[in-house]
This record gives sequence, C-alpha cells and structure tokens, in this order.
Amino acid sequence: MANPLLRTVAPPDAALIAAWRDGDERAAAELVERHARPLARFLAGAGAPETDVDDLVQETFIRAFRSVDRFRGQCQFRTWLMTIGGNVLKDFGRRAARRKVVPLDEGVRDRAGDPHDHAEASETEEMLSAGLQRLPRLQREVFLLRAQQGLEYDEIAAALGTTPGAARVHYHHAVRRLKEIVK
Amino acid sequence: MNEERMEQLAKRLGARAAERLDVGQTARQVVERLREPAPRSTWIQPAWLRIAAALVIVVGGAVLYRFTPGHRPVVSQHAAHFVADDLSGLSADDLRDVLSSFDEILSTDSAPASDSTDWRELDSQQLREVLRALEGEG
Repeated sequence: MANPLLRTVAPPDAALIAAWRDGDERAAAELVERHARPLARFLAGAGAPETDVDDLVQETFIRAFRSVDRFRGQCQFRTWLMTIGGNVLKDFGRRAARRKVVPLDEGVRDRAGDPHDHAEASETEEMLSAGLQRLPRLQREVFLLRAQQGLEYDEIAAALGTTPGAARVHYHHAVRRLKEIVK
Repeated sequence: MNEERMEQLAKRLGARAAERLDVGQTARQVVERLREPAPRSTWIQPAWLRIAAALVIVVGGAVLYRFTPGHRPVVSQHAAHFVADDLSGLSADDLRDVLSSFDEILSTDSAPASDSTDWRELDSQQLREVLRALEGEG
C-alpha cells in the first residue's frame, strides 16, 4: 500500500530545479506539468493565438531550463517563467510580422476552433482581450500578473526588475486605459 | 466596467487555451527537445553591446563637438590672446614701466638684465610687440 504522505507532499519548485540542474529529466517534466497551464493562460491572455499556445509554452520551458542558472530565486519560478514567456511571445510576434501573418499588436485572437465556443465567450471578455493588445507590453504583463495570476506587487516587481511602486503604477495605468477602451 | 469586474474577466482569459493543453504531452516534448543540443547563439553578448554603444557615444560626441559651428578649440583661443592687448589703454611711458618691472624681476631672479633694454627708444607699438614676444616665450 502506497504511503499517502508521499503522494500528497510534492517537492517544492526549488528542489525540482536543483534536480534538473543535476540532469534529472523527471524533475523538468514535473515542473512542466506543474506550471504549463498557468503559463498557457498567461500567454493566451497576452495575445498568443490558441493554435500556437502549445508551441509557445514548450519554447518558454526550453529557454527557462537552458538558462536556469540565471534563476536565483528572486521571485517564484512560475513568475519567472511568465517573464520568459513574455519574451517568447514578443519574438513570436516579430516572426509573425516578418511573415506577414496577423500581427500581435492588432489583437491576435484565435478565430479557429469551434464557433460555438466563440459564441459563448462574452462580449466584454472579448473587448477586454482586444483592449489588452493595445496596451504597452509592460502594462499588459503587469495587469495579467496581477489580475489574472493574482500576484502581489512585490512579486511582480521582482520578476520584472522594477519596484513595487512602479508595478502598482503600471497596473493602474493599464486599468484606466482598459476602462476607456472597454466602456 | 469597474475594476473588480475587470479582474474577474481577466481570470478567465486564456482558460480555454489552458484546458486544451495536453500537459503530459507538452512535458514529454519539452524533455525530448532538451536532449537535443542547444542551438549555438549568434547573438552578441549584452556586455559587448554596452561597450560598443559607449564607444559610439564617446566618439560621436567628440566628433559632434569638434564640428559644431562656433566651436573653437580651447588651445587656439588661448594662443590668440595676449596680455599685451589688454594693455592697449596704457601710454608708451606706462608700457616702459611694465617692461622695466620685468627687468627688475629678471635681475633679481637670475641673470642680469640685458643692456639692450633701453625701452625709452621704443614707441608704443614696438613696446607691445616686445610684450607679445615675451608672452610667446612664456
């Protein structure tokens, strides 16, 4: 009979990161399983087309694991991942622009998929999503980290290399502009 | 829309994309890709970029300063200025006194004054030239 304690107590991210640094692939897989969905939500909220979210999530994890030595615990691993995801998405937008694909800044939203799903999406949600694409990148990311991911300003500031006060200002600017756009 | 409503909506953003994600498959693919050698980055190190940017600013600034209209090198400004010109208001007698005071300084400082310094034989223009010559030697 399995020990229930072993099943319920998950190793902290720091332990998995240390294990990955020692070459443990299972630790890397565990980190992906733990953080992939919140990262996907963040990327989709920041404008990633739904059809590309899987690729962008993978690319984010690849970059994170290959540069994991730069992560010094200044913020949560998940928050750090999201900042890398922001860079991955930015690069994706540049490549898309070069290929003359619909650019991110014009509010890339996936229009593929089940039309019924789209019909169910509320109009205001769509407007908010479109409004987010019109914000400067920093405001958009601060807004998502705060409103979507529920992070504190201290955590956001540590991840983005700014101060909590500045993060708060970015958030309020984002909210103000979104109110203007969505009203 | 108030802020609270906006935050509620924000929490739902990307939910569909997250639900569709096959997390196990994503984890396997990430691990497989990690086994591949990392692509060699051709990107220049940020430190070198900073150094290059600093050089451009310094050299560019120097060139801009040098060729800015109205700019005159400090050295040439100094060379063009003579104290003798500031003495233009002095009469010939006054200028002789100035030169005589030089003689006194030289005689007390080191060698005796030259016997050719009979300032009374020079007019004011010549006296100024002598002063300029003395400044040039300095």
